Amino acid sequence: MDEKYKFIDFLGLRFNVANCISALVAALLVFILVYALSRKITMRPGKAQNVLEWMIDFTNGIVKSAFPGDTGRRFNLYAFVLFLFIFVSNQLGLMFEIKVGGFTYLKSATSNPYVTMAFALTSLLLAHFYSVKKFGLGNYLKNFSRPVALLTPVNLLEEFTNFLTLSLRLYGNIFAGEVLLALIGSVAKSFGLISFVVALPFEMIWQGFSVFIGAIQAYVFTTLSMVYISRKMTKE
Amino acid sequence: MASTLVLGAGKLALGDMLFILISFILLMLAVKHYAWGPITKMMDDRSAKITGDLDYADQERASADKLKKEREEALKNSRAEAIEIVNKAKQNGDDQKKTIVDQAHSDAEDVRIKAKSDAEKAKQDAMSEAQNDIANLSLEIASKVISKELNADDQKSLIDSYIKELTVNNGTK
Repeated sequence: MDEKYKFIDFLGLRFNVANCISALVAALLVFILVYALSRKITMRPGKAQNVLEWMIDFTNGIVKSAFPGDTGRRFNLYAFVLFLFIFVSNQLGLMFEIKVGGFTYLKSATSNPYVTMAFALTSLLLAHFYSVKKFGLGNYLKNFSRPVALLTPVNLLEEFTNFLTLSLRLYGNIFAGEVLLALIGSVAKSFGLISFVVALPFEMIWQGFSVFIGAIQAYVFTTLSMVYISRKMTKE
Repeated sequence: MASTLVLGAGKLALGDMLFILISFILLMLAVKHYAWGPITKMMDDRSAKITGDLDYADQERASADKLKKEREEALKNSRAEAIEIVNKAKQNGDDQKKTIVDQAHSDAEDVRIKAKSDAEKAKQDAMSEAQNDIANLSLEIASKVISKELNADDQKSLIDSYIKELTVNNGTK
């Protein structure tokens, strides 16, 4: 279970090669998918355009349910790309797990806490940025002491718990899914053909369930991101 | 895996975060440029078009209703007009028929009266002519009788000639 990763140190920063490659592949897949679906855009949509519009409507629905009225329109694109990226990343590790010389190079990017933390940070920074932009710095800071000053420490603590729960929920779900997949895989290899036949249905069931979990977690992450941004933009 | 999770165990892989962030932003820009922009524009256009079409359909329906009402009105009017025209024509025909028949009656009466008067006149003429003839004849006979002392032979020849003349006259007449 203990996987090894190649690290590259560059400009004083440490890069995990597996994470970078996985994220890049996921991003490329998302782009190829969206690019392929958006080739012939017409007033009367074809099949591909319908699929793309369905996805856009889905993420737009997430944004709309989090924001009052039409105020969330500017986050439509962010929610769309975020959802697709996390969804594709989640599924990527279920299909591919590439190891070369004992080092892992390709897996679910979201099965690493740094990646999910990067996304959570992005969402929360957006939330704080738009809060300051809307209320001004003074009111933004005052919002921490609402509804009563007594709750200020709780509000401050909430920012960190939001960050941790948002990122670690996604990481935990995907990581656990991959660990269990690998575990069942090692069981299949342990006793030859018999264990292989026994483990096969379990692997299939768990894989199907992981696809489901990956979709749910992408939805949850996007929804919570939008809810956090929306909450920061409304006065409590 | 565990070693990367524990803070301080080696360096934090902060580069990952940066890499993820940059790749995500690039992905967002690419998606926006190649897919999001065109498709959201098309979706907005479509919703605008649908709204416009619905409005247009409402307008068209209202105008069609109006037109229908007008047509029905016109139809009703034209029916009444047609009935009037037929009635008028019938009236005219009746009038004309009556005048023609009257005319014919009066003409026939005229013809009858004229024929009657003509016949009367012809009779009168014939009468007066006959009277003249008789008068002349008797005058002639009288003059002949008076102008001649008649013996029997003469008388006989006279009568014969007279009769001869009469038959000749009759034959020529």
